Amino acid sequence: MAEPIILAIPKGRILSEALPLLARVGIVPEAAFSDENSRALRFATNRPDIAIIRVRAFDVATFVAHGAAQIGIVGSDVLMEFDYSELYAPVDLDIGHCRLSIAEPAAMAASDDPREWSHVRVATKYPYLTRKHFEARGVQAECVKLNGAMEIAPELGLAGRIVDLVSSGKTLKENGLVEVEVITQVSARLIVNRAAFKTRAETVVPLVEAFRAAVGQAHAA
Amino acid sequence: MTIAPGLLPEGLRDRLPPQAEAASRLLHRVIVAIGRHGYARVAPPLAEFEEGLIGRLKSARAQDLLRVVDPVSQRSLAFRPDITGQVGRIATTRMGHHARPLRLAYGGPVLKLRATQLRPERELVQAGAELIGNDNIAAVIEIVLLAIEALEVAGVEGISVDLTLPDLVETLSAGPMPVTRIDAVRDMLDAKDAGGLAALGAEAYLPFISAAGPVGPALERLRALDLGQALDSRLEAIDAVVAAVGSRAALTLDPTERHGFEYQRWIGFSLFGRGLSGEIGRGGTYTILRPDGSEEAAVGFSLYLDPLVDAGFGIEPRRTVFLPLGIDPAVGRALRAEGWTTIAALSDRDEPGALGCTHGWDGTAPVPLQAR
Repeated sequence: MAEPIILAIPKGRILSEALPLLARVGIVPEAAFSDENSRALRFATNRPDIAIIRVRAFDVATFVAHGAAQIGIVGSDVLMEFDYSELYAPVDLDIGHCRLSIAEPAAMAASDDPREWSHVRVATKYPYLTRKHFEARGVQAECVKLNGAMEIAPELGLAGRIVDLVSSGKTLKENGLVEVEVITQVSARLIVNRAAFKTRAETVVPLVEAFRAAVGQAHAA
Repeated sequence: MTIAPGLLPEGLRDRLPPQAEAASRLLHRVIVAIGRHGYARVAPPLAEFEEGLIGRLKSARAQDLLRVVDPVSQRSLAFRPDITGQVGRIATTRMGHHARPLRLAYGGPVLKLRATQLRPERELVQAGAELIGNDNIAAVIEIVLLAIEALEVAGVEGISVDLTLPDLVETLSAGPMPVTRIDAVRDMLDAKDAGGLAALGAEAYLPFISAAGPVGPALERLRALDLGQALDSRLEAIDAVVAAVGSRAALTLDPTERHGFEYQRWIGFSLFGRGLSGEIGRGGTYTILRPDGSEEAAVGFSLYLDPLVDAGFGIEPRRTVFLPLGIDPAVGRALRAEGWTTIAALSDRDEPGALGCTHGWDGTAPVPLQAR
């Protein structure tokens, strides 16, 4: 039998919403997958032809783009940041909704006019996306790449503004920041490696169909 | 700043034994197989005037070229990122008077301006064939079968051909399915980004994403869309290709793929192989611009041989015999004629094992060296 298809799932935000979706597709990971204390990275499922790996959200895109995993679930924010040519995103899974926004300290926002910007300094996990967004409106963005806790950067003078995911806005508020512009709405996508989509079509294509149908069911319910 | 010994610029590398030999062996096999079908080899230069490299293929997008200013002519030179355009130039200039269809083959290195994380090589060996003067179904079938044969002789197994219809979106958007932002729609279809497509208000194109897959079901789904003449004639062509390929390769159809098909016209294809992680070749129909502004139809394909070398193709086990000092040169000649590789001792300190020999010489015949 051929090597199993590897499905890459992100830790964190999307995971809890992804599991019910997987169940509707008919994929149930082994018990260790839900065990917080398990240090395993690769898990079997009820289907012998599918195995799951659990990695960081940004790494899901990288694993799948290189063909190390054939399919994955990842936020559209990550897809836009990498802009990998070898990824397909054939199904919008309609989970993990949030938005990618620009935020700044409330005091700055009170006197700030975004139309007058020519150069901004931004702390973000998304340097490529941020630079591209600002370039498109004629603003040069100097990005400070951080891997977390962006919200603290303005207060400590690391960067005046941040670009980060916002869902409720609670974290921003607690750090004295206000959202000044939404860059894009974000939702989780099913992604597929381009070569796997062609060379393992007999397994991958029905799997994509199953995800599409599962999302459809959720809408109907 | 000093450069560490042996450091090469990003994306460039040395090929060592046995991969260097494997690379030339694969190129030779592929070129010979192509040549047997009447494709005569041409060898354009590695660099030429920048304006000669671009603008030869109709609707080619401006490419990133590695440029230098030629100190002699003071004009901009560029390294070729692709040989297809150069073959087009040859076909419409120096070989413009040759009978059509003109069948040409080529193989050699190309140089890209920048490497990506997914394709870290900047220097690649490209080999292929171009058929100039015809892009009908018979010509396309000849090229697809030739591409499959070239991969077969290179040793690739589990070949899979992905067919695409590069100008379909343009044709449909000009006819039954108008869209406002065609470039954005094309990018979303290329990435099969269902969410992004819906956000652009181009939901009408969603069925093309779900149609992609094994060629049989894909054709059925596309026929069910009933989009009239524009699609029907192309689907008939796909049927003909499917019949011709038979069981020699797995076929998939992806009607809206654009990856690397910027200059392709009505049909394009990508080549994949079992165990090889990315695309290993591609081809399709395109239009060459003649110097007088008129156009000429063509179809061809290119293979990239480096992924095959990296995957271990083309390496053959060697039988190497160590010839001690003072042996009659005729013995070496006879052994080489039988297919042996010989390494002659130059001093009595030469060590057969360390020099890569598999056999020693016992005075009358090669004997395997004792494994240590």
